[in-house]
Amino acid sequence: MNTCHALLFAALGFVVSAEALSRPVSYAGGWTLIGESDRQSSSALLHYTPTYKWSLGPRLEVNRDDHFALTTLHATRLAKRWFGSDYQGNLYFFGGAGMASGVDGNRLEDRFSLYGGVMADWETRSLFTSYRARYLEASHFGTQFMHAARVGFAPYEGDTGALHTWLMLEIDHRPSDPDSLTATPLLRLFKGPLLVEAGYNITVNQPLLNFTYRF
Amino acid sequence: MHFLIKLLTTFAVIFFGLSALAQGHSEHADHHAQEHHDHEDHAHQASDGGPVSATSTGPALTHTDEIDSALAEGGEPIVADVLGVVCDFCALAMNKIFSKREEVAAIYVDLDTKALSLVLVPSASLSDDTIAELAVQAGYRIADIRRGDAALGSGA
Repeated sequence: MNTCHALLFAALGFVVSAEALSRPVSYAGGWTLIGESDRQSSSALLHYTPTYKWSLGPRLEVNRDDHFALTTLHATRLAKRWFGSDYQGNLYFFGGAGMASGVDGNRLEDRFSLYGGVMADWETRSLFTSYRARYLEASHFGTQFMHAARVGFAPYEGDTGALHTWLMLEIDHRPSDPDSLTATPLLRLFKGPLLVEAGYNITVNQPLLNFTYRF
Repeated sequence: MHFLIKLLTTFAVIFFGLSALAQGHSEHADHHAQEHHDHEDHAHQASDGGPVSATSTGPALTHTDEIDSALAEGGEPIVADVLGVVCDFCALAMNKIFSKREEVAAIYVDLDTKALSLVLVPSASLSDDTIAELAVQAGYRIADIRRGDAALGSGA
């Protein structure tokens, strides 16, 4: 299983985290590749959107702190979208089910695991705010609750197809961690189908690196 | 307190580092807007032979090379006001969905005006209901649709 995960990561060429933050549901017929890496875990998700209301796809997450990996089928449901001439708000529910496996010398047996959570965001072309929460049940690998909130602003309003730049601050809370409350300032760059985020968790000195590619 | 200082310092560095970028982009945006305005003037001249003022009902067709080419072919211009279009992913979704339709010769989603500009293939038609449904497939909503002279900004 460890070799399998290593190969998957090599193929993706990236490491990834907890949940897909950037538009986890696409347009009907769209595919999205999302990679995230935060202070605790790295993940990759490839999802397909049959209708604009939901998406489904395989997801791999490696928890570097607790040395286990989750290989799951991940689904996201757009529960509500609020529209305005210059804003958009979204409420999503997501969940995943699959196997948890030991990595990095962790010899615990594979076990069924699942997680579920909620995400919400509201944004204009220059302001952004979001919240997400997840509860994970991974049998003898442990349980985990986390939630995080973000605020951000764009120093300029990018034109269609131009480079869009955002400055954001993420505060995340993981009650079971020694450093339960941390802060991550980050830079989001957005151009066409590609979104990249780079930040640094200033509480635990860990980088954050995310990307989303839509096709 | 140490945490707060690190946080503020980090944001200050990022903010000032990007201020130059924002300044440069602002100049570019002004230039783009002027070009856009010039294009519109050109389109108004072409549509009825004389300068006209834009309709008060909404933004006019955004002109790109592709759209101008489709207009020159004789396709019907359509402008739809779209709710919720705030980023390039929104524009990409609209582009992907509408571009699949054989009736559509050219498309552009303008984030500044929140308007979807379409030019149809000559003699093709696309009903308001179909446009609204395609927008839903992309994940958005249409607030208003203008066609012909109204879409070109030369309507009553």
